[in-house]
Amino acid sequence: MNPLEFFLTFLKASLFSTDGLGNLPSLHQDLLANGIATDADFGRSIALGQISPGPNGLWALALGYFTYGILGVILALIAIIIPPFTVLLVAAVHSRIEHLPWVKGLMRGISLAVVGLFIIVIISLVSSAGFEWKTLIFTIGAFGLSLSRKINVLVILGIAALGGYLLF
Amino acid sequence: MTDKQLIDPTAATLGPSNAAATSKMNFWVILRVWLLIGGQSFGGGSSTMYLIRREHITKRNWLTEDNVNEFWALCQLTPGMSIVAISILIGRKLKGWKGILAVLSGLLLPSTIITTILAAGFTAVGNWTPAQALLKGVIPATAGLSLTVALQFAIPLLRKGWNEQVASFIFSLLVIGGCATLSGIFKFPASFVLIGSGVVAGLVFPRIWRNIQKTQEQSK
Repeated sequence: MNPLEFFLTFLKASLFSTDGLGNLPSLHQDLLANGIATDADFGRSIALGQISPGPNGLWALALGYFTYGILGVILALIAIIIPPFTVLLVAAVHSRIEHLPWVKGLMRGISLAVVGLFIIVIISLVSSAGFEWKTLIFTIGAFGLSLSRKINVLVILGIAALGGYLLF
Repeated sequence: MTDKQLIDPTAATLGPSNAAATSKMNFWVILRVWLLIGGQSFGGGSSTMYLIRREHITKRNWLTEDNVNEFWALCQLTPGMSIVAISILIGRKLKGWKGILAVLSGLLLPSTIITTILAAGFTAVGNWTPAQALLKGVIPATAGLSLTVALQFAIPLLRKGWNEQVASFIFSLLVIGGCATLSGIFKFPASFVLIGSGVVAGLVFPRIWRNIQKTQEQSK
């Protein structure tokens, strides 16, 4: 994959996402199909995105590094910065389009699609680690702990790392 | 000199088009504030929004609650990361294009540098057996975190549908299930699934909403 294709893959994913990890399904599909990234790369990148400061969406920079080095970070960064600039256009036309039912329907449809695509990514991440009881404990445990919202994500990942060290 | 003294006190209440007011803001002060936001916001978007509100509304009076709420609503109609989008709007309001540059640099530089260093560290120790054991715990855990994110996306959407009408709720479930099937089983490209879902929902939801309106009018 040449740098332009790499950049366009990240740009497309960001354009068709509505927030943070919303670009995950598209990147997962494209980079896995091209053999550029593995499920392990995605797992590492999501974990790093949680550990680093800043918006969660910056997980894509870690993925850029794992798949294309420093150039990958720069290309991924540019690709995630460009789409939000359309907010300036939205701000200019907002009063004219905000009440149009098809606009509301379209936005809701895209958000629902992201949920559907997420299900596939999660299945892929779990299956990459192997459907065995030890890995499922980590998935279910992290899910339960993060759902409560009372425990910091860094703590959850720390427990998972320690558990991985002890169990594997 | 305090931050408040470096700006025109009226700037917070003036629109982005008022170049005279916005130009009084100091680029370096904006950059410094946003470097703090970018470097401190551990835990993702919600902590970033908390810091944005604290630094701009509570501490400095640069923006009003209404400004931030209005900006946030606009970001919901924008592709990509909402935090980046709201930062662009805030930057423009504070100091036009220079403000956007200051705000984005501050928000993204610390995390880009830290993420790159951590990723390089991960790569360096990647083949070290204990590191691989740690990752064997961390990677399935990220699947669990992703499941929480998916639920956080899904619940407000499904709740909206449920509160509207059963048809809206069922259609929402069908879209989620349909997209998962098209992507997971039939291997349709994600962008096709997203656009297709947007178009279908753009056609179907307005019909459902019209029906709801009709039913409400008839019951009156």
